[in-house]
Amino acid sequence: MFPGHRTAAAAIALTGVTGLGLLAVGATRPPPRPPRPPAPAAADPATGQPATPAPPLPHANPTRVTIPAIDVRADLVPVAVTSTGELEVPPPDRPTIAGWYRLGVSPGEAGNAVIVGHVDSRDTGPAVFFDLGRLRPGDRIRVARADATEVTFAVDGVRSYPKTAFPADLVYGAGTVPRLRLITCGGRFDERERRYLDNVIVFATAVA
Amino acid sequence: MKAQSVLVSATLGVGLGTLLLPAAALAETTVSPATTPVGGTVVLTASCNPKSGDAIFHVTGPNRDQNVRSTTAAAGGGLSAELFTAGFTIGTYTVTATCGDGTSAGSATFAVTPIGGAAAGEGANADTTGLLAAGGTLVGAAAAGTLALVRRRRHASTLA
Repeated sequence: MFPGHRTAAAAIALTGVTGLGLLAVGATRPPPRPPRPPAPAAADPATGQPATPAPPLPHANPTRVTIPAIDVRADLVPVAVTSTGELEVPPPDRPTIAGWYRLGVSPGEAGNAVIVGHVDSRDTGPAVFFDLGRLRPGDRIRVARADATEVTFAVDGVRSYPKTAFPADLVYGAGTVPRLRLITCGGRFDERERRYLDNVIVFATAVA
Repeated sequence: MKAQSVLVSATLGVGLGTLLLPAAALAETTVSPATTPVGGTVVLTASCNPKSGDAIFHVTGPNRDQNVRSTTAAAGGGLSAELFTAGFTIGTYTVTATCGDGTSAGSATFAVTPIGGAAAGEGANADTTGLLAAGGTLVGAAAAGTLALVRRRRHASTLA
C-alpha cells in the first residue's frame, strides 16, 4: 500500500467511526424532561401570607403572564372544562400560550385564580411552563389584566402532586386574599400512555 | 341616683347580651367540603334547633336554584343534608339556610371544580435530527471514500 493510500484509509476510518458515533448518540439521546420542584418544606405553600398582601381588585380578564425568573412571557386565553369534566388546557398546537380558568376568579380578585399551561409538546419540545419547577419562594409572577392593571404575585411554594390525588381544595378554594395557582404537568412520564403522572402546582399570593 | 341607673342599665344590657349570644352564635351554615369535583357530595349543615322542624337549604349557582330539606341531625348539633353535585355546572354556589321556625341560619358558599388534574404535557421527543443527519452524512462519506480507495487500488494493481 502506498503511503498516500494509508493516509486516505485512516481518514476514511476516522470519518466512519465519527459518523457511527453520532448516529449512536442520536439514537439513544433522552428527550428533555422538565425540572422537578424541590422536596416540600414543612410550611404549607397554599396558605402563604406576605407581610403586605395586596387588596382584592374587581373582576377583569387577564391578558398576559410574565415570570422573569424563568423567562416566561405568555399571552392568556380563557379555558373552562372538557366534556368529561376535566380542566381544559390551551390547544396543543399553541404551546407558548397559557390558559386562565374562566370559571373561577380573575387574578387579583379575592380567592384563587388558576392559570394552566403546557410543560412540553411532542412536536415542538419544551412549552410555556416547562421550567415551572424551578420557581422558588419569593419569585415574582406578574399578570396583566384587561382593565390595564397589573397584579404582582409572590411565590409561596411549588409542589408536585400525583394526578390521582390532585388537591382541588388547595387549587380552586375561595378566600379573602387574592391568590394565584399555576398548573402544568410533571413527574414521571409514562411512555406507553404518553402522559405525565403528576401535576406541578405553583402557589402564589398577591403582594402590594 | 343617675349613676346608679346607668349601672343598672349596663348590667341588664350585659346580662341580656349574654343570654342572646348563644342563639346568635348558633346562626351558622357550613358546607363540607368547601370544594368538590363535579359529581362529588357535600354536606350542608345549619345550626338550627331540630325541635323546631326541618331546615331548608336554598342552593343557588350557575345552573341551580333549588331547595334541599334537612334529613339528619348533625353530630355536632344542628341539621344536615347531603347534596350530590352530579349535573352541576362548574362554579361557585351559595347555600342559604332557614330553620324550621322561620329564622335565618346564615349562608355559605362552596365550589364545584373540574375533575382531577390537568393534562398539560405530551412528552417532548428528543431533538436528534441534527445528530442523525451529521452521522449519516459522515458514514456515507466514509463508505464513498472506501469505495473510491478500493477502485483506485484495483486500478493500480491492473496497471502493474
